[in-house]
Amino acid sequence: MSGMQFGIFTVGDVTPDPLTGVAPSEAERIRAMVAIAKKAEEVGLDVFATGEHHNPPFVPSSPTTLLGYIAAQTERLILSTSTTLITTNDPVKIAEDFSMLQHLAAGRVDLMLGRGNTGPVYPWFGQDIRAAIPLTVEHYGLLRRLWREKVVDWSGQYRTPLQGFTLAPQPLDGVPPFVWHGSIRTPEVAEIAAYYGDGFFANHIFWPPSHTRRMVRLYRERFEHYGHGSGDQAIVGLGGHVFMRPNSQDAVAEFRPYFDNAPVYGHGPSLEDFAAQTPLTVGSPQQVIDRTLGFRDYAGDYQRQFFLVDHAGLPLKTVLDQLDLLGEQVLPVLRKEFQVGRPKHVPDAPTHESLVRAKTADAKPSGIQPTVQEQQS
Amino acid sequence: MTKLTVISGGLRQPSSTRLLADRITEAVEAELAKFNITASSSTIELRPLGRAIIDAMLIGFANAELESAFETVANADGLIAVTPAFNVSYSGLFKSFFDVLPQETLSDMPVLIAATGGTERHSLVLEHALRPMFSYLHAIVAPTGVYAATNDFGAQDGSVGLTERISKAANDFARLLHACGTRTRRDVFTEDLAEMERLLAAAPRPGEDGTVED
Repeated sequence: MSGMQFGIFTVGDVTPDPLTGVAPSEAERIRAMVAIAKKAEEVGLDVFATGEHHNPPFVPSSPTTLLGYIAAQTERLILSTSTTLITTNDPVKIAEDFSMLQHLAAGRVDLMLGRGNTGPVYPWFGQDIRAAIPLTVEHYGLLRRLWREKVVDWSGQYRTPLQGFTLAPQPLDGVPPFVWHGSIRTPEVAEIAAYYGDGFFANHIFWPPSHTRRMVRLYRERFEHYGHGSGDQAIVGLGGHVFMRPNSQDAVAEFRPYFDNAPVYGHGPSLEDFAAQTPLTVGSPQQVIDRTLGFRDYAGDYQRQFFLVDHAGLPLKTVLDQLDLLGEQVLPVLRKEFQVGRPKHVPDAPTHESLVRAKTADAKPSGIQPTVQEQQS
Repeated sequence: MTKLTVISGGLRQPSSTRLLADRITEAVEAELAKFNITASSSTIELRPLGRAIIDAMLIGFANAELESAFETVANADGLIAVTPAFNVSYSGLFKSFFDVLPQETLSDMPVLIAATGGTERHSLVLEHALRPMFSYLHAIVAPTGVYAATNDFGAQDGSVGLTERISKAANDFARLLHACGTRTRRDVFTEDLAEMERLLAAAPRPGEDGTVED
């Protein structure tokens, strides 16, 4: 895979289908997530990412369990998260779970960190939402050390100290999973991603593009400021929100009841107003292509594009249809068109293989550095 | 030049709330003139923003029209806020506008509070509802507000007339604006970023752990 990665991200909500009033059982929803992930690989998508939630009506409380199960039934798909809660999870457990998953999935793993904005979840895990930002900084600092140092002595404010701790299993090939930092609205996330030279994922959907433009610009500036490369070499991902049918009128008619009743944005603005104000695209595959290619105008050349396709009670069959359309009609055009005019110095989306290559190259004092061309192959 | 923004929560046309807002604005401008301060005013009617305010509450961001109203408030040196009194408080729409207004927009903003109502019985709405809300929002609330009952727009019999009360409030507010001067707008985005920079500076430096950051 070269250049950009395309994938889907799911919230894992159990929402009644507004047409029938019937919600899937938790078991049905979990099995549907697996079916959706397998379909994503089948239609040629690169990444499947699951949310993490600890309260109904959501099911994915244990993302690496789900991703491990999917890893066993896929061969090529990268398994990721959207997001892994760096605040309420113990960083030691995150390090262990994702190291284990890396080994099982032969490196097809990365993760996106987020803070989580559900107040009560924090106390359930012994934390306080008011400390979310210092907690993020401290937990992530520890997570990085656990993945990079053989023996860790550590003490901090929010977790019991560690003396002589060694992570098992160690990261596959000595390379930690690539880390994205997911942001909906706050500049702090862009700053931490830039500071460490990690990826920055702007959720993008449900908000006006002007907001994403500002966040991505900030991240690129700060990435350069911290000396990781030029701003256009920073690693950017964006969300997308689509519903397609071959005829755009059919897409609008079919999606409207789901839109009108959706959690998050339902019962608010009309579908038309919301689609005009946010990246939501309801229409033909060509409309999705045009809109998505336009993201470059304000985000620059970027590395990862996710789509949200399975929410608001859409039936599994409808979601699988969406993935067919994505794979057959949208993806080939996006892969080709996003490469047009993409400067050679803009990095490809990171993979386990590219990180291993970079590590090997850096380990040889006078060894051959991988060229941009090699990285793109 | 002092920039005044006026919020009118009146619902009908013509609206006595808007009428009161306009009279207060004129009086404040006249009082400012005594300090040789010229003032410009922009009035925001909440009724046309009703849908946008509820949408913003539901989806978390403002449409272009509401965003522009927020900018008008944020860029002001002083605010005149006038609501009808509904059920012993400000109107729900008036409150909702301030519920979706971005945090710290009113920080250090001089505010003159005013309300209209059917009878004089509701006049304490200024002290029991508006003043605490604006104090909570970190505004500098002028000590004298203006309450106008329907009767105030008719014959005045012995009580201090509405015109005098407006003049008194306008005089107090003008002195407050004069003392506060041009307002510096708070930039929460930059403040948050600076705080994160400080936190990260105390964290391990990238690369210090001996690995290469590619």
